[in-house]
Amino acid sequence: MPTNDKNIMTRLYVVTTCMFLFAFAVLFKLVNIQVVQGDKYKALAMKRTEKMFTIDPNRGNLYSDDGSLLATSVSRYTIRFDAVTVSDADFKKYIVPLSDALSGMLGSSSSHYQQLLRKAKAHKNRYALIARNLDYSEYMAVKDFPLFNRGPYKGGLIIEQKTVREHPLGKIAERSVGYEHVDDNGYYSGVGLERAFGPYLRGVEGKRLKQKIANNQWKPIGWDNIVEPKDGYDLVSTIDINIQDIAHHALLGQLEKYKADHGCVIVMETETGEVKAISNLGQTKDGKYYERLNYAIGESHEPGSTFKLMSLVAALEDKVIDTSAVIDTEKGRWRLYDRTVKDSKWGGYGKISLARAFEVSSNVAFAKMVHNNYKDDPSKYVNRLLKMNLGRQLDLPIKGEGKPVIRSPGDKGWSGISLAWMSYGYEVSLTPLQTLTFYNAIANDGEMVKPRLIKEVREWDQTIEKFDKEVISASICSKETAAMAQDLLKKVVEDEHGTGHKLYSPNFSMAGKTGTAQKNYASQDPDKLKYISTFAGYFPADEPKYSCIVVIHEPDKSVGYYGADVSGPVFKSIAQKVYATSPLTDEVDMDKMKDENLETSYQKYYVEAQKTYHKMPNVQGMSGMDAISILENLGIQVEVKGNGKVKKQSISHGTDLKNVHSITLELS
Amino acid sequence: MKGILQNIKGDKTIWAVVTLLGLFSFLPVYSASSNLVYVVGSGTTFGYLVKHALLLALGFGIIYGVHSIPARFFKGLSIIAMPIVLVLLAFTLAQGTTIDGANASRWISVPLVGISFQTSNLAAVVLMIYVARYLTKIKDKTVTFKESILPLWMPVFLVIALILPANFSTAGIIFSMVLLLCFLGGYPMKYLLGIIGTGMLSLTLFILTAKAFPGVFPNRVDTWSSRIESFTDGQDTEADYQIERAKIAIATGGIMGKGAGKSIQKNFLPQSSSDFIYAIIVEEYGLIGGIALMFFYLLLLFRIVIVAHSSPSIFGKLVALGVGLPIVFQALLNMAVAVELFPVTGQTLPLISSGGTSSWMTCLAIGIILSVSVKTSERAVSNAKVKIDENNPLEVLSGQL
Repeated sequence: MPTNDKNIMTRLYVVTTCMFLFAFAVLFKLVNIQVVQGDKYKALAMKRTEKMFTIDPNRGNLYSDDGSLLATSVSRYTIRFDAVTVSDADFKKYIVPLSDALSGMLGSSSSHYQQLLRKAKAHKNRYALIARNLDYSEYMAVKDFPLFNRGPYKGGLIIEQKTVREHPLGKIAERSVGYEHVDDNGYYSGVGLERAFGPYLRGVEGKRLKQKIANNQWKPIGWDNIVEPKDGYDLVSTIDINIQDIAHHALLGQLEKYKADHGCVIVMETETGEVKAISNLGQTKDGKYYERLNYAIGESHEPGSTFKLMSLVAALEDKVIDTSAVIDTEKGRWRLYDRTVKDSKWGGYGKISLARAFEVSSNVAFAKMVHNNYKDDPSKYVNRLLKMNLGRQLDLPIKGEGKPVIRSPGDKGWSGISLAWMSYGYEVSLTPLQTLTFYNAIANDGEMVKPRLIKEVREWDQTIEKFDKEVISASICSKETAAMAQDLLKKVVEDEHGTGHKLYSPNFSMAGKTGTAQKNYASQDPDKLKYISTFAGYFPADEPKYSCIVVIHEPDKSVGYYGADVSGPVFKSIAQKVYATSPLTDEVDMDKMKDENLETSYQKYYVEAQKTYHKMPNVQGMSGMDAISILENLGIQVEVKGNGKVKKQSISHGTDLKNVHSITLELS
Repeated sequence: MKGILQNIKGDKTIWAVVTLLGLFSFLPVYSASSNLVYVVGSGTTFGYLVKHALLLALGFGIIYGVHSIPARFFKGLSIIAMPIVLVLLAFTLAQGTTIDGANASRWISVPLVGISFQTSNLAAVVLMIYVARYLTKIKDKTVTFKESILPLWMPVFLVIALILPANFSTAGIIFSMVLLLCFLGGYPMKYLLGIIGTGMLSLTLFILTAKAFPGVFPNRVDTWSSRIESFTDGQDTEADYQIERAKIAIATGGIMGKGAGKSIQKNFLPQSSSDFIYAIIVEEYGLIGGIALMFFYLLLLFRIVIVAHSSPSIFGKLVALGVGLPIVFQALLNMAVAVELFPVTGQTLPLISSGGTSSWMTCLAIGIILSVSVKTSERAVSNAKVKIDENNPLEVLSGQL
């Protein structure tokens, strides 16, 4: 088999051709992937390596009416320690100084931290908890601690940041301030203002495109966010932190004293309906009180005697009776069908006027008055109540407002005794805020104002939306009726027979109505019988500024349960303190005085200063201040002797400025 | 330095291509090393750069050293080296290193130096020279198959049998290259077909044994079959993931590429610095870069053909082709894998990939080609002096053969 150059080369050309063809096949496939399959794989690249990230906007702040922060979002830091990444030498060297530093900041002893760190090291713990919920300044300090200042890899420092909602003023109006959570499906839940005004507070999420560079590592693409995050608006609430504080503590004290189940206080500005304070306290199992539910807004219950005002106003409006009309309260017992209306005073009040009946809060008198006057046409009474907006919700932005109940004849539960029972606050149901709204309308001469918790929505210093006074009804009753009702409410406190006379103070006036409603009265067991003690009213009596309602549920009967005893003192204490803390202020506007001399000399200076000089100006006679500013603006160094007006200038005016570098002024 | 440059002999184009590829290799290696550093988490990017530079510098040392040895000496060297290679291969296989339960005994670590060495690469070069020598020896004879078994096929099958359990693709490439060389060298076609048949048969036998007794020797049969299956079927496997990433890299590279170091897929391709480096190159330097690289390999192929053509001796021709064609073939194979023209093989891109010591064997091969390309006139001085230096065992050996 002879092999020679030639046949080797021939065979080689065959092989080489094959290899070239293979190379072209590779190139063809390369182009094919780019051109034909290109779009598919580019799309796949996007899918596999790019992801849209959301940037959380900052939630808006919630302010009180004077701009104090009620709720704000802050960063909180959790510090953890990776004991494995730290070298043994570093660990040994820094453990004591680090523990000392931690002890200095966080309180526990240095040995506690040494033990904690050593344990982490021994167990190869890469996620040992050091401290939770540090604020920003503490976090910055921790970052500079020995060992930790060497960073996450050498120092083992792990930092987790989270944003939490903080209430800088503590638990004040906590339930009304509320909260808002969002779940994974984007569904919002929560209570109070945070929830009600959530859409304003939330802001708009930003979007940022990021590219995957490794597992769980993403880097941003491009300069800008796809969508810029927009921070939430700020809310200014009507809450006055001083009044809120007073209301909160007054209520708390009384709840503790009477070991009551729960209670609430609302203080409202009479004219505008702005809720200045709203406090809800409920008892926990261990006997402590805290803001559990928004009773003031959410809890609809039988109001009891405070409803006598509504009956009174209705009767006066319908002109079925006069305040001076005399009603026989018999012996404090009045049998109607198979039931008996009882007065709290054993033996009754005898024959008294309607006015006195209101003052002493006679159930018999009111039952008789309403029943006798409306029994032929019960719906007239009910319609009057409804006309005064009593059957309707206030339509508050805060979710969960309790439904009021005012039954009409023919409704389920209506009976022959309904009129009598309704007259003093049973078989009807109102929330404390609804009751207060009515009382406020009386204080306002009949104008019913909608209670408000929010004043305005703001973005920085710009007002986005303003919430003004909203009138539900311009007049629920005539001015005369309102005046009569006001007079009676005042007498409840002022008159020595009045149920609220214990509240009387010669120094300032209050008006209001007590209420002691029975709860669970359907039960025959006397132990189950509970009371709701209420006081609703306004102050000062003559020129009402604030209306207020105090409702305390289930006080300990052995301590007391009458509205005047339980809720009254809270009302009084609030009225007294609010009055003491809102002094009258007068402002006097003073026109700014214009100084003629100053004006003219300024004008002169201004003219001089505007000129362009090529030659030294004459500054003699000018005030030193003006002369220096003119000359130094020309680039001349000025030396000054003395003070006052320029007496002498070292370089005379008219000298060419090109040669002048400095000048000395003598002032007198 | 000047002396070295003056002593550079042989095909200047090959020198140029190799130097160019060597210099270019820094770019993709440096870029892809970020994956090793930041994702895998070993070493530093600069460390990889320095390591690559050192390996490459030594590689060029090897080229220079080898190219100054006259080509005819390789005959004798291959005979001396053959038994050493067989011992090394046996030693490598005996180590029993495993990756994920499969036999991965491909490297032995060189004592003292602390670098690992892939013996199959050396074996391939030595075997090709050995085969070239045999073919030269029988060029004027008509050999029977029986006659050629002992001197030719025995060593070939020994080498392949020792590589096969740990590295199927390399064994396959070596086998194909030996066949190619035999074809070029005029070995009778009928025998070649017989050998191919025998090869296939023994491979089947090996696979069947391995499948039947999985415990006998931890092998890579499963890896091969899964790689080939994933190439043919449509299921999602690790290899599919790599291929998909490689194709994403190629597709997103476009015509001009994303620019040096800007590859994204390098972070996701597990073998971005070796097996799939071509995809990364296309991603960073675009279609233009990919074609240019291909051009240089084809230019190298073209020059190897020229070297073979102009070599006066049959041995020169065969040895240049025997060690040269596998380089280009391996390069094409690597690219073919990246574009999904071929199943994943684990072959590096010669002269570009940071394949460690395997690049030295490429350099050895390049050195041999260059040695062949050195014209007789260039060596005239030394040849004129002594026809056969009796004191030089290589001279004696080469003269005899």
